[in-house]
Order: sequence, then C-alpha cells, then structure tokens
Amino acid sequence: MEVTLLIEATENAFRILEEARSHAAGIMDTTIELMAEEHRIIEEKKVRAIFTGARRRRARFQNFAGTACILFVFWVLLSGHFDLFHLTLGGLCAAFVAYFFHDLLFVNVRVGDIRTVVWRFIRYIPWLLGQILIANMHVAALVLRPKMPIRPRIITFKTKLETDISRVTLANSITLTPGTVTIDIREGEFYVHALSHLVAEELYGGEMEDRVAHIFMEGDHLYVQDVLDASRIYETLGV
Amino acid sequence: MIQKSDDVIVRTVARSLMPFILIYGLYVVMHGHYSPGGGFQGGVILAAGFVLLTVTQGIERTRQHMSQKTACVISSVGLLIYAGIGALCLILGGRYLDYGRLSQLLQVDQPTARSLGILGVEIGVALGVMAVMCIIFFSIFAADETE
Amino acid sequence: MNTFFLLIGIGMCVLVLGCLFRVTYGPTILNRAAGISAVGTKTLVILMIIGVLHGRIEMFVDISMVYALLNFVGCIVLAKYLERAGDI
Repeated sequence: MEVTLLIEATENAFRILEEARSHAAGIMDTTIELMAEEHRIIEEKKVRAIFTGARRRRARFQNFAGTACILFVFWVLLSGHFDLFHLTLGGLCAAFVAYFFHDLLFVNVRVGDIRTVVWRFIRYIPWLLGQILIANMHVAALVLRPKMPIRPRIITFKTKLETDISRVTLANSITLTPGTVTIDIREGEFYVHALSHLVAEELYGGEMEDRVAHIFMEGDHLYVQDVLDASRIYETLGV
Repeated sequence: MIQKSDDVIVRTVARSLMPFILIYGLYVVMHGHYSPGGGFQGGVILAAGFVLLTVTQGIERTRQHMSQKTACVISSVGLLIYAGIGALCLILGGRYLDYGRLSQLLQVDQPTARSLGILGVEIGVALGVMAVMCIIFFSIFAADETE
Repeated sequence: MNTFFLLIGIGMCVLVLGCLFRVTYGPTILNRAAGISAVGTKTLVILMIIGVLHGRIEMFVDISMVYALLNFVGCIVLAKYLERAGDI
C-alpha cells in the first residue's frame, strides 16, 4: 500500500516536473521568437532608413540637375553671347541658384519623372496656343457684333487633379484662354468666370483637364508609375 | 509677422518663378557692360525675388534660405569684395579701383583685366545691395514679431 | 513699318488713359489695383514698341522684363496688404 502510494507520488512529481520543463521550454521559445522579431524590426528600420536617405539624396540631386538645366537654357536665351566665358559664367550662376533653391521649382516630383514632365509640358504648349487662337477668334466675334451677345456667368466644377502644381497649371491655362478667368480654387473646386455659353461648355468637356493630368502623370498614369517605382525599389534593396 | 498666402495659385506661381528671378538678376549683374543694368539694378532684382518669396511663402520659409544673420554676412562679403578689389589695385601700385593694374596679377592684357575687375566689383555691389535690401525688408516686417 | 508701330503705340497710350480713368475714379481700392496692373501690362507693350522704333529691341526686352517683374511683385504685395487691411 505504502509502496504504491510512494510510486504514485513519485510519478506525480515527475509529471509536475515534466510540465514545468515544457512550460519553461515554451517560454524560452517565445522569448527567442520575440527577440528574433525585435531584431528583424530593427534591421528593417535600418534598411528603410538607408533607403529613404538614399532616396531623398537622389531626389535632391534630380531636383538640382533639373533646375540647373532649365536655368542654363534660360540664361542662354537671355544672354545671346555664345563665347566660352559667358557660357561658363551662366553655368556657374545656374548651378549656384539651383544648389540653394533646388526645392522651389520641383516639389514632390518622383525620382526619374522630371524629364517626362518637362517633355510633356513642352508638347502641351502648342496645343494650348492653338486653343488660345480659337478662343480669341470666338471672343472677338462676340464683342465686335453690335448686339454683343455675351452671357457672363460663374461656373464651378470639381477637379480630379490632386497636386498643387497641376491645379495651378490648369488654372493658368484657363485664364490664358480668352473668355474664361479662374477666380479661385478652393478644396478642389474651380470657380471660373466664363463669357459665353460656348466657352463654358468647352470647359465642362474637360479636354484641357485630361491633358494637364497627362502632363503630371495623374489619374491612370499614377498607378503604373508607382508599380514601376516599386520594382526599382526592390532592385536597389536587393530583396 | 507675414503669414504664407492662402491662395494656391499665387503660392505655386511665385515659388516656381523664384529661381528664374534670381537667374535674371544674376544675368543683369553679369552683363552690365553690354545691356542696361549692373550691380545696383541686379541687386534690387535679387532682393525683389526674396520679397516675393517672403510675401507668398511666409517669413519662416524664407528664413531657411536667407535669415537676417546670413543677410548681414552677405552684405559684409559684398563690401569686402568691392573694397578688396580697390585695395588690391592700390597695393599693385595704381590708384583705388585702377583695374588696369590687375593685369599683372591675372596674367592677361589690360582691357581683359579691366573687364574682369569691373565684373568683380559689380558682383560685390550686387551682393551688398541685395543683402541690405533684404535686411531693410525683414526689419520692417519682423518688427511686430519681436515686440 | 515704323508708322505702323507708331500708330499702335499711340493707340496703346490711349488705352492707358482709359485704365488711368479707372485708377483715378475707381469706386473701390480693388478697381484701382486692377487698373494699375492693366496699366503695367500696357506699358510693357509700349516699351517694346519704343524698342522697335529705336532699333534696340534687345535692350528694351531687358527693361520690360524688369518692369513686368516689379509689376508682378507690386501687385502681389498690394493684394497681400489689402487682404490684411480689408476693403477700404
């Protein structure tokens, strides 16, 4: 009797010991896992810091180079002297201004996009000039008629453009076109003064808006560009 | 205290116009002997750029580019360039601002030395004028902030 | 050709007079500001025409660019001031 009791007690003790061991092993495992997790998070943070630093530096360099190129072209247009001395002077001045004011001309332009934006903007100008010519004829015909059949009104429309610079480009294009003047942009809503029914209809058509969106890669272009950008990110990281 | 403008058009257009204003001011300074302009006019154009930046972006943003202290330093540097070139001519045996004497130092003939000397003096004048205009503007408009 | 430009210049001066009327008798300060800005743009064209008449267009382009710049800055500063001071 006593022997069986002793054996049971021993077995119980062994069982408790076994449980305690398994508990301890579990706790150890969780600790190791947590430590590994923490380590991984720290590593990730480090990698991200390296990457964003590189990205910021690269973006800054891109802004600098883009601004310097545009300023140098502007200088040559102004100067008209093509000897080495004046070109060197122009290059120095452009680099100087671009170094100190690289964050003014291009803001929030993704890395690698500057060339596309500038090129598309240049191609947009002839279309805008044609549009201005057509609207000029229309307005001249309106005001030269003795009855002057103008019907001024203020129209509002919601825009799909998101960034400041694209909105401003659209607003200035509208103002440049005779017959329409942008009064205000408030929370994505344009307030435009239109001289007649026809120009207002043209604005509602939204061709100009589409073209401006195309320049600054908004709308559909945004997502495609982001995908491309992500693949480039992984390449850089070597993941 | 000048706040930044709350109109997005004015803010963005002024921001992207600023580098062009500066390069135009530098062009006026550098081409003072071909076309109208020179140190004073170019300096005023440069200062107009900073005034535009202050009015549209707010004084805080402008301080990142041109603070009162920087303006003081730049005005002193401009004066130093001007007086330094003058004194250099004096040291080389000519009169004050007698640019022809610089030809010994720069290893070029007399007319080129004169042209380069005038260019240097104009850069000095432009820096001084720009910085002093900025200091005046900041002092006027930051007055209600310090009180 | 010179008489043509001269006539355009005189026409521009007459238009400036029209804007000056608005500047002088404008009911509110905003009318005056808009009038001053319009006078500025017309002065640009008059400067260009003077340049063509004198045969020194490259010099007058520089001058008119400075004029345009100062007109722009002045307009913005005036608008800023009016924004703070309210309608007078």
